[in-house]
Amino acid sequence: MLNQLLDTVWGQTNALFYPFRRRRYVDLFVILLGCALLYGLVQLGHQWTGAKRPVVEVNLSVWALPKYTFFSMMRGLAAYVLSLLFTLAYAFWAAKDNRAEKLLVPILDILQSIPVLGFMPGLVLGLAALFPGSNFGLELAAVVMIFTGQAWNMTFSLYHSLKSVPNEMHEAATVFGFNWWQRFKWVELPYGTSGLVWNSMMSMAGGWFFLMITEAFKLGDQDFRLPGLGSYMSVAVERGNGWAMFAAVIAMVVMIIFLDQILWRPVVVWAQRFRVEETAQADNAHSWLLKLMRRSRLLRWVEHRRAQRRYHPKPAQETPKGRSSWALHRWSLHRWFANAALAALLLLVAFTTIELLRFLAKVQAPQWWMLFKAGLLTLSRVLVSTILGTLWAVPAGLAIGLSPRLSKLLQPVVQVAASFPAPMLFPVVLAVLLHLGVSLGYGCVVLMLLGTQWYILFNVIAGAMAIPGDLKEAATSFRLPPWHRMKVLYLPAIFPYLVTGWVTAAGGAWNASIVAEYYTLKGVALSTFGLGSEVSKAAYHKELALLAAGVLLMSAIVVIFNRLVWKPCYQLAYTKFSLTK
Amino acid sequence: MKNETPILEIRGIQKSFDRGNGKLLRVLEDVNLDIRPNEVIALIGPSGCGKSTILRIFAGLIEPTKGQVRYQGEKQEGLNPNVAIVFQGFALYPWMTVEQNVEAVLRAKGMAPAAVKEKTNRAIRMVGLEGFEEAYPRELSGGMKQRVGMARALSVDPELLFMDEPFSQVDALTAEGLRAEILDIWDDREQNPSSILMVSHDIKEVAYMADRIVVLSANPGRIRTIVENPLPRPRGMRSPEFLRLVDQLHDIITSTELPDIAVTTVEPSVEQDIVESLPYALNADLLGTLEYLATQGGSCDIFQVVAQTHVPFEKVLTAVKGLEMLELVETPKRSVHLTPLGHRFVEAGMDERKLIWRDQLLELKLFRVVREMLDLREGELPKEELIQELSTRLPMEDPEHTFETIVAWGRFAEIFAYREEKEVLTYE
Repeated sequence: MLNQLLDTVWGQTNALFYPFRRRRYVDLFVILLGCALLYGLVQLGHQWTGAKRPVVEVNLSVWALPKYTFFSMMRGLAAYVLSLLFTLAYAFWAAKDNRAEKLLVPILDILQSIPVLGFMPGLVLGLAALFPGSNFGLELAAVVMIFTGQAWNMTFSLYHSLKSVPNEMHEAATVFGFNWWQRFKWVELPYGTSGLVWNSMMSMAGGWFFLMITEAFKLGDQDFRLPGLGSYMSVAVERGNGWAMFAAVIAMVVMIIFLDQILWRPVVVWAQRFRVEETAQADNAHSWLLKLMRRSRLLRWVEHRRAQRRYHPKPAQETPKGRSSWALHRWSLHRWFANAALAALLLLVAFTTIELLRFLAKVQAPQWWMLFKAGLLTLSRVLVSTILGTLWAVPAGLAIGLSPRLSKLLQPVVQVAASFPAPMLFPVVLAVLLHLGVSLGYGCVVLMLLGTQWYILFNVIAGAMAIPGDLKEAATSFRLPPWHRMKVLYLPAIFPYLVTGWVTAAGGAWNASIVAEYYTLKGVALSTFGLGSEVSKAAYHKELALLAAGVLLMSAIVVIFNRLVWKPCYQLAYTKFSLTK
Repeated sequence: MKNETPILEIRGIQKSFDRGNGKLLRVLEDVNLDIRPNEVIALIGPSGCGKSTILRIFAGLIEPTKGQVRYQGEKQEGLNPNVAIVFQGFALYPWMTVEQNVEAVLRAKGMAPAAVKEKTNRAIRMVGLEGFEEAYPRELSGGMKQRVGMARALSVDPELLFMDEPFSQVDALTAEGLRAEILDIWDDREQNPSSILMVSHDIKEVAYMADRIVVLSANPGRIRTIVENPLPRPRGMRSPEFLRLVDQLHDIITSTELPDIAVTTVEPSVEQDIVESLPYALNADLLGTLEYLATQGGSCDIFQVVAQTHVPFEKVLTAVKGLEMLELVETPKRSVHLTPLGHRFVEAGMDERKLIWRDQLLELKLFRVVREMLDLREGELPKEELIQELSTRLPMEDPEHTFETIVAWGRFAEIFAYREEKEVLTYE
């Protein structure tokens, strides 16, 4: 909808200017955008390398918000770049080295299930100590924490793509003598691009979830705070400043829409050529920005120059018959490198395990038992919130997805809602709940629901839109009554999508439990018994051993639950309810 | 021509694939073959005879388990840089335009940009793709896609052009045109490719294109015979000599695939522990073939079935094999007859058909074995277990295929059912 709106508004403004323009304004726009970016980066550089302030005073004036939002956005983008680099390296390694793969994939599975808070104390303390004179350490810690909320599913996506490149494509690359870099850039990376772009959007949204904590983090008596949208919000919440909270929420929404329009739309449209299904008809995604940019002469000129310089004539490689010795040499070098990398990985894993075990030895049996009970309680909350989400999102999603008009109108809205970090809405909802006399023990389920229901809704809409027309027509022609139609067609057809929604929602709910079960409102800590609140409390009181135990238990529960419940669900979805097979 | 030294030769090739559970599947057994200068050589045979594997061993894409590959008389290590392949599934990169697909392979050779442009244009012109340079593969039809595949292969000026069932995903009319074009390009002695190696399952295609036709038999793949094709080019597909050659090839392949030994004549006592290998044919194909035979008065030449039903030759063969096992047809030489039982089956209604089918299935040792296993498991036999059993009892067969056939035939006979989500075989 937004897209459409912008398109029409843009179109009308363009029409107004029609007499004046010779398309030069596009170039002006490009130059302005470049200048703005440069200015922002200089500001950011000042901020990062500036002398370390003991405590950052956050200015609650609305006029300070654009700067804060920009800082937060740059952190998110820096984290994204980091995630992308990590993904390329890690996925490539896991896909190419069969031995390392056996270790790398389970590690990724575990990393994925560790809540961001688990990485936090180590990162913050370590990096802040590493750069005692400047903000750099703390900034880096914030970026890395956002990174831990972004990277893993991107890595999984690329890894799976790399593993599923069709054999003939590989054989063609081999026969025609592509070297590893050409194979990567012409075959493997393009093959994974669609999935990577999609997951990048999801990741970027996921990265914002803990913004309020990553930018304003208390560890014992130490207060680590960075200027940004997240810290603005947390200060506003602390002081109970309603206007500032409202302004921060608006700023967040604006940032999400801005990123969607400026970054993701163009990327999605550009990535369409990497679609692999040959028959799929062109999707209707379009981007005003990309259209605009393509009009720019400046950019065209740059592109042209680049294309001319693209490849220097290399001396034509003769393929002498006796090249095997060189190939062999390179091969052994490659082998050596792979072995060294694997050894380093093993060492790292062993070291981490030993350190962790030593750390956990400090936790006593009664504490474990308490954590275990807390874990079960939180697990039940996660499940209840997922069920509640399903109960309303399935009918709503079907209604939206089955009506082309509604889905066109509401899908972008749902997308924005799903990217919005729910903890920013907690104060409002909490206030309402407390006013109604609901205790936090039950109320935190609502808080969890706030963040996770969108994933279910989003996936159900996608599933409903993907139901083939002939199946719907068949149901109509047999005059199936609505309930029956639901049972034989709609529910089975959306099931695979629903499973994806559940997995994401449950993962989100676990993450949310950390904030939802322990929330500081106007300087008063509200908490209820649960694993999330235990983890939060441990971090707050700097009880690192307990924190480690809690985080470990949480990721263990998540991993076990994935194996025992979600994996069979996926299996069922794939074998019985798949519409594509 | 025969005395020339071969460009590429394989000697004593054996190839086994690891099937995962430590069991080896032998695909090729003692294969010797050479590719000589200026010839078109074709590999033909039933599925599972390893023809594509032979092509890949020649190219150096696959290492043989045993034996040697020699290029110009010297041992070939790894990939042969003088070979280009046209793939069955085109193997084009969907994110590159036609032009980029061709350019990529030239750039991989480290050519200067000017040379890349020139060679790309030449290759695109050669296969008649001018005007489609900027198109993406997904916008093209199967025939056009394969033209891109050909342009890509020819652009590197290969001494040897390999084609792996190049026209099996192209419609018949287009394929005919492409075959003639490829031969025209090959015919030009001034330029590469010198020789073409192709894999095919279409008898007419190989008779039209090849100078030598290598007929393979399956399980494990062996060379059965090599047929010289002396017909002058261009070959008319309707000429009596051409049809005679096609006939001859048919005879060779049928005698490989349907040896005139009736299954029933085997003494049960000898048969005790041997289970029959099942052809990979689903009942719809079997029933279809029976119905067709019935319309032909119960007897018909097997190649007439192929020609008139437009079903691929291999598929008809496996279906006939299956029917022969069930004693519903006989195959003296190249013709197929309905047996008296077959006649009864065709005329029967659905219920009686199922009864006959059931009785015939239980004549087969394999189905009795499956039923015993099912009894042993008290009516719930996991797929995994049966697959294990099949791969020990029929080491030469793909157990997944055999399993599929067992399920399909057994379901029709209502001997047992299969529940996919639990992957167990149960009683009906």
